Amino acid sequence: ATELRLSHQWSNNDIRHKVAQIVADGVAEADVDLEIKIFGSKSLFKPREQYKPLSRGQLDMTVLPLSYAGGQQPAFNLTLMPGLVKNHDHAARLNESPFMEALEAKMAEDDVMVLVHGYLAGGFAGKDKCITKPADVEGLQTRAAGKSFEQMLAGAGASIASMASSEIYNAMQTGVLSAANTSSSSFVSYRIYEQVSCYTPAGDVALWFMYQPLLMNKSTFEGLTEDQQAALLAASEKAQAYYLEEAKKEDAASAKVFADAGVEIAEMSQADFEAWRALAQETSYAKFVEEVPDGQELLDMALSVE
Amino acid sequence: MDPLVLGGLVGLVTIMVLFSGVSVAMGLLIVSAGFLIIFDGMRSLELMPEILFGKLDNFALLSIPMFIIMGSSIASTRAGADLYEALERWLTRVPGGLVISNLGACALFAAMSGSSPATCAAIGKMGIPEMRKRGYPDGVAAGSIAAGGTLGILIPPSVTMIVYGIATETSIGRLFLAGVIPGLLLVGLFMAWSMYATWRSGNTELLSSGSYSWAERFEILPRVLPFLAIIVGVLYAMYGGIATPSETAAVGALLCLVIAMVIYKLWNPRDLWVVLRDSTKESVMILFIIAAAGVFSYMLSSLYITQSIAEWIGTLDVNRWVLMGAVNVFLIIAGFFLPPVAVILMAAPILLPIILTAGFDPIWFAVVLTINMEIGLISPPVGLNLYVINGIAPDISLRTILIGSLPFVGCMLLAIVLLCMFPGLATWLPDAVMGAAL
Amino acid sequence: MSGQLSTGALARTGDNLFLRGVAALSTLAGWCSAGMIVAAVAITCQMIFVRFVLNGSTVWQTEAVIYLVIAATLIGLPYVQRLRGHVNVDLIPLALGAKARFYMFLLTSALSIGIIALMLWYGYEYWHFAWDRGWRSDTIWGVRLWIPYLSLPVGFALLLLQLIADLVAVLLGYDNPFGLED
Ligand code: NA
Ligand code: NA
Repeated sequence: ATELRLSHQWSNNDIRHKVAQIVADGVAEADVDLEIKIFGSKSLFKPREQYKPLSRGQLDMTVLPLSYAGGQQPAFNLTLMPGLVKNHDHAARLNESPFMEALEAKMAEDDVMVLVHGYLAGGFAGKDKCITKPADVEGLQTRAAGKSFEQMLAGAGASIASMASSEIYNAMQTGVLSAANTSSSSFVSYRIYEQVSCYTPAGDVALWFMYQPLLMNKSTFEGLTEDQQAALLAASEKAQAYYLEEAKKEDAASAKVFADAGVEIAEMSQADFEAWRALAQETSYAKFVEEVPDGQELLDMALSVE
Repeated sequence: MDPLVLGGLVGLVTIMVLFSGVSVAMGLLIVSAGFLIIFDGMRSLELMPEILFGKLDNFALLSIPMFIIMGSSIASTRAGADLYEALERWLTRVPGGLVISNLGACALFAAMSGSSPATCAAIGKMGIPEMRKRGYPDGVAAGSIAAGGTLGILIPPSVTMIVYGIATETSIGRLFLAGVIPGLLLVGLFMAWSMYATWRSGNTELLSSGSYSWAERFEILPRVLPFLAIIVGVLYAMYGGIATPSETAAVGALLCLVIAMVIYKLWNPRDLWVVLRDSTKESVMILFIIAAAGVFSYMLSSLYITQSIAEWIGTLDVNRWVLMGAVNVFLIIAGFFLPPVAVILMAAPILLPIILTAGFDPIWFAVVLTINMEIGLISPPVGLNLYVINGIAPDISLRTILIGSLPFVGCMLLAIVLLCMFPGLATWLPDAVMGAAL
Repeated sequence: MSGQLSTGALARTGDNLFLRGVAALSTLAGWCSAGMIVAAVAITCQMIFVRFVLNGSTVWQTEAVIYLVIAATLIGLPYVQRLRGHVNVDLIPLALGAKARFYMFLLTSALSIGIIALMLWYGYEYWHFAWDRGWRSDTIWGVRLWIPYLSLPVGFALLLLQLIADLVAVLLGYDNPFGLED
């Protein structure tokens, strides 16, 4: 049997593992002499060390935030850009747009293709106060997930502290950090609710969306038989539908965990969102366009998706 | 090949290669490369430098050279001697007072040094000759320092706890706190044994030698102050909101270097270089083992050995304490031959799932693991502390040092038993300071 | 038995020019390594100062420190090899007679040289790949990755030299196999 190796950083009960599992199960059921072996919880590669072997064919598949590879393809930084995605349905429309096609062309340059599209959302947490609008972060030591968010938050007058997400808890506890911005699932898995007074989850509008697809090495895919390819694609389609549904539930679930822990839940208004986006335009969008040769074109494509 | 059988084969080959005299890190790379070529093809080989680099790509590793610099800079001054002399002046009436002073000094020094050899060297340089001069048997003098030195990795800061924290993704701040009470317990057991042994020997000279006036006793106290300043400074930085545990290490290193230079007049470039050279030597050795063990664990995972062993243990229906006993025997045997860092890195990915499945606390287990590693430090054939003592007092035979250390190994085993009976010894302090664990 | 940390063991060179040259090179690498560790201490303290005292942003320090520690490790390898600082377990050599021990040393030397040559080759390839593709780190600082990756080929090349020198020293009779006295 052909064996494919899939590496990811998540635990067994994480939605992204389940997406991988659906694909693996679907392929196994199709009985096309193909087996997907999942190496979860960073057991094979470190999170940020996955894209390189994937693109060189040393790893067959992975589920990862594409922005991790932003150092290799700067265009990927658009997949973690503040305010670019408004909500999960909007994210689903982006996945089907010319913008995504352009990104997939970039991935193809690295011999990488997408099997399952998917976005996950995140929010803000404040140690002493709620963070909903740019003025709220001024002068706060803040840890942000993603370069573009760091640029935007710095523009709002926050001080940026760079550290691993696993250090957020301790840093919040001892007061090294006073605000953090990351994904809903990380907020829960790192138990940040024990250390903060206010949480701003992703709601009707959200600022923080991260594209986290299931990727495959393109040559490896093309080397499979037609039956095997068809089985993979069919299983992926099923997984993508599941991914979208679960992604929506995740934000509400994280809000419930925080609320149950007695943390105040704040909401970002449409006006707050616009204020952040205006700030992002001057900071992270501008930086992106400056750094990436065809950046403006890609950004316009993304912004044109209704 | 069945992954379990393959795992056995890897274990056998690894032992053969490591015993061949090749350095531990290179041995791990050789074994990894061999199995990767045979079972994964040449493509995996290409990945080795990348994985090696990736394993080192971790901010927490910074604290390893830093905590080593702390120890070695202070060890190169007379601070260790001051510390032990101060304790001695206050403990003259206690049976075995001199041994007790040395053990106490080891414990205090351990609160500043992340590694054991520095602790051993700092206190032993002065302590061993003094104990022998006063008529303590060679075995007691050498054994107590060898054992006291092992506290360096149990009492925080600790290089092995950092490595465990990285390998198992447990909080390093929490691990450090978990080592405090067991560390004190171990010091207590060491001291109790020393007092009993001295009393039993009936050598009255050991009881009465040296008496100090109260003036002499108070006069020496200021010389202990730099020590306290460092310990308090580091604790404040770590738990007072100034820095994360990894960053704190750098503050500690700077503090120790400055105190060594300003208070102990260590400014001769040659002396400073010796401090840096020794720190670099020990750090690079440890970091290279960490990197190579990373490649080794990639190989184990890639060949599905780690996963299969965890699954297999999961299917075994054994009493959790029998399991814990077996794990301890395994760790002690591994510790005989391999340096602590290598044992932790190779064993943690395999043992942790087992430990968690059996319902043991990972923080508590870190302490048990560390005490096992302490036993390894004073046991042949690779007992780093034995060689440090051998370097300080070349005329005491390794055999004498070894026999002198044996009762202390007994204390360590007793401590493990106590920890099994009262897990709170390890988990209470971190829970009290940092909130209940996950 | 080995595993000494505080003994003054050192690769013996005699008056051989090649051996002395390699020793000098390794020592220079050791100075660089120690210098990088000191720089890491300084940068970390600067970061804490900027954050805690000035309440400013600290975006490059963590990354710089990580790369410095990695480089210190890799560049420090040859020096630590020269100082006999890489812990080993020489149970088998100790049990062997002089002749068998000599051949055992040849075998382990060959294996060590082989594995490090391999690491050098693929390390160089990885470095070149990063250089060729213009890879950067995915942070605001955006370091060109070939710079930190350079420590892979450089460190392994120097270590390879020191390992070859150690083999030559034994073959020419300047040093004993495994540094063991007969
Ligand atoms: Na310590
Ligand atoms: Na040992």
